[in-house]
Amino acid sequence: MEQVWYTAAAWIGVALLASLLSIRLGISVALVEIFLGCIAGNLGTTFGWTIFQPTPWINFLAGFASVVLTFLAGAEIEPEAFRRLWKPSLAIGFVSFLAPFLGCMAYAYYVGGWPGESAQIAGVALSTTSMAVVYAVMVETGLNNTELGKLILAACFITDLGTVLALGLLFAEYDRWLLIFAVVTLVALWRLPGICRWFFSLWGGRVIEPEIKLIFLVLTVLGGLAVTARSEAVLPAYLFGMVIAGLFVHDKVILHRLRATTFALLTPFFFIKAGTLVSLPALVAGFGMLTALFLMKMVTKIVGIWPLCRLFGIPVRESNYTTLLMATGLTFGSISALFGLTHGYIDQAQYSILVTGVIASAVIPTIIAQVWFHPREVSLGLQEEPVVLGTSEHFLHMPED
Amino acid sequence: MYRKMLVAYDGSEGARKALAASLELAKLHGAEVTALAVQEKLPRFAATIDEVQEEKEYAEAYYGKLLEQARAQAAEAGVELKTLLRAGHAAQTIVQVAREGGFDLVLVGHTGLSGVWAAFLGTTAEKVSRHAPCSVLIVR
Repeated sequence: MEQVWYTAAAWIGVALLASLLSIRLGISVALVEIFLGCIAGNLGTTFGWTIFQPTPWINFLAGFASVVLTFLAGAEIEPEAFRRLWKPSLAIGFVSFLAPFLGCMAYAYYVGGWPGESAQIAGVALSTTSMAVVYAVMVETGLNNTELGKLILAACFITDLGTVLALGLLFAEYDRWLLIFAVVTLVALWRLPGICRWFFSLWGGRVIEPEIKLIFLVLTVLGGLAVTARSEAVLPAYLFGMVIAGLFVHDKVILHRLRATTFALLTPFFFIKAGTLVSLPALVAGFGMLTALFLMKMVTKIVGIWPLCRLFGIPVRESNYTTLLMATGLTFGSISALFGLTHGYIDQAQYSILVTGVIASAVIPTIIAQVWFHPREVSLGLQEEPVVLGTSEHFLHMPED
Repeated sequence: MYRKMLVAYDGSEGARKALAASLELAKLHGAEVTALAVQEKLPRFAATIDEVQEEKEYAEAYYGKLLEQARAQAAEAGVELKTLLRAGHAAQTIVQVAREGGFDLVLVGHTGLSGVWAAFLGTTAEKVSRHAPCSVLIVR
């Protein structure tokens, strides 16, 4: 029992250090957690420490974190923007998933010599687009409230949907359990928005958080069914997030509390665990494969997305920018790689290559897009007016000429 | 001589001196003054949109308060102060806003809040002075 507390203290200590570094450096806490986890895990391997080896309870917290993260990502959809821009966002988002999925899978299988299931995991992990990375960039450039920004975010959403569908269906056992899982999930998705609305209005707003417990209950029940069907718990989580996204538009308090719970207790265990499993020696040995898979992701994203952007009339510079942002990846890529390692579809060396490739895709295209391809088509009405905070009283103090 | 001035404001001692100087100059020249605060620490390469949104809300509350104080200070000095809040890299954003807004003078404090990095990479004031499209006054 004593060891549990020391282990918890070590992991929470790393999480705290990651938070402080994240605030100081302006880099996401997830990336810092993966980095520190990698250092801790590799030091542990070198010196024979066991404290940073994932235990069953850490595995549970990390697994639950991936489900809640996916739920939160699903809840980010803007239904109104998606309805308005469904045609280009569906096309760009779908190709943004399919092209790298097929390209990276084929490369890993035919050139890398990876087994079929490992190659499929490579395809899924590198097909992703990080909506969060894209959103952060667009907040800085002020594009998040423009038509182009909404189009890119809606397309990211479709890409992520492709990823969770692939993860949930590629490795599933096609038997009666999958049928039961599909039927229960569909009925739940149909009834849950109404049930949640009723439940939140009747029992919500209390410090004991009945709303969050209901969300967690749904996630665990559907997740359990998914795993029984040899599918993946993130699939129903994403879909559940999608169908109740509308509730969070009106009730930011639940969302805020859910985020606080998730960031304080769950996500550190997921990202630190993701880092501890990255083997630096394997990474050095597989550097060629890492570079090749990263380049394959970039090339397939560019070949797939850029022509579509042009086809939908997006100007060249904005097309370049959109393509680069759609080539980013982080959370879903890490979730996919960890899923593959946990279920034995990939080994630790392959996992190390995939997670590093995913992180590289979060950083490199983002920097290129920001430095060289920032949209400047002001005449398109894409640029937001600067926010001016001020009241009429300030005009009373105008200097007299 | 100056008609439109932009003062970079992050609440640091240097920024407060720059604001005070801008208010004096505004009265002398009858110029328009805008204070710009830059949310510099939004998490890059975020894993969740939630992280970005929460940090953004926190930064908006923090800088909103700073800008409110700046407006109060300007009101006391009898100067109208417009305020802007943008997210991004401090020096890049200041230069970009100066260019977009057609400002003819940018005022920055000699030292801002990014002390440790500035020792290695140069201060925001140095970068702005190199890249701004107009005159730059570095206030000590």
